[in-house]
Amino acid sequence: MKTILKTTAAALAFAVVAASPVFAGTLENMERERAIMLETLLSGNMTPAERQSKSAIARVRLIDLERMVLRDESLTGKNTPHVRAAFENYDLTFLIHASAENNRAPLDHWLTQLGVSTQSVMGARPGLR
Amino acid sequence: MKVRTLTSALVLGVALAATAPADATAAEGWSPAASEKLIKLPGSYMEKAIENDYRKSALAAKLTETDEKVSFKKQSLADLQAAVAGTDGELRRNLEHQFLTEKKNYIELMREQTELRRARAETKVRLYERLLGKMNAKKAVVSKGQAELLNNQEAARARFKSTLANVDSTLLQPTYAAESKYAQEYANNLAAIERLSASINAHPMNQAPEVMGEPMTRDEYLRHLIAQNESEIALVDQERAVLGYMAKLVSLDALALSQDYEPDETFAAADDDEQRLTSAVDFFITN
Repeated sequence: MKTILKTTAAALAFAVVAASPVFAGTLENMERERAIMLETLLSGNMTPAERQSKSAIARVRLIDLERMVLRDESLTGKNTPHVRAAFENYDLTFLIHASAENNRAPLDHWLTQLGVSTQSVMGARPGLR
Repeated sequence: MKVRTLTSALVLGVALAATAPADATAAEGWSPAASEKLIKLPGSYMEKAIENDYRKSALAAKLTETDEKVSFKKQSLADLQAAVAGTDGELRRNLEHQFLTEKKNYIELMREQTELRRARAETKVRLYERLLGKMNAKKAVVSKGQAELLNNQEAARARFKSTLANVDSTLLQPTYAAESKYAQEYANNLAAIERLSASINAHPMNQAPEVMGEPMTRDEYLRHLIAQNESEIALVDQERAVLGYMAKLVSLDALALSQDYEPDETFAAADDDEQRLTSAVDFFITN
């Protein structure tokens, strides 16, 4: 009887833990959304119209997510590698806002920040690395 | 003989009262904690909260009770003093003796009262110092990496704020995207927060503490309160010195009263003949 009770309690505890929602932070949500958008923009497996439509939706979501991160007081002074890296480069982290600020398309701004320009691509030579 | 014995006992009693050790239990009547809740309160409200906590303590009850006793004792001293002045003979001597006893009781009560006031002031000083220490400790815990992060976050927010209008006009063009539900709700909530914030700032309980019309920070106000209580401790110490003098006077009065009953003329005459050290002081002072 005692064993049955113990097993039931353990199962119940597991069920409670399994059922509790695991919330990702605002920063994690934003970064996931940004990664998906960049993947969409760089993908060669879709039509331009499809890419345009998907990236437009992602951009709308990212506007809000970027603002949520910038306004998130729980991130203030949260000295973790993830948060530190996010705030070290505004242009890469808050891509939509930074690109709008510079009147560029998000992908253009992203590539510029990474040092990839039309000139550098055109001037590149194929070869082994 | 009975009167003389009583007077001697009185002298001894006064001497003991004047040198009695501090009331060890006084400080135990109030032990406030420097809680986080207290730290978060506005400066002037913090002082009120501490005062309210004190009023509910055993120390406050004891001090109020002692104050009442002192007040009654002062009244009976005034009555006795008037009675002594209006009588003579044996009755006057009895009243004088009673007057001295009452003075001794008054000194004992006042000593107790000063101990309680000292305990209150010392407890407040300790509490304010702990609060100040906790507030400073909170400010000090910022590592180099954290300071850098805070700078980056501040810069990011400043950049976002300064470019918001420009970014909005670009991003929220009809061709780009309509304003989202989050943006709309955020604007509504922000307006509500600003109104509430204005009310909080204007609330009388949230006014910055002032000293002589000058607004003070919480740190400054706490230091001001510590200084105030330190001065209370210094005054209590001075009052104890006054009590010591009072006790000395009562002892002397008691001695004089006993001498009045059985004057020792031989001793008095010899006393007159004795050379006093003070009479030679002038020899040692050159100017």
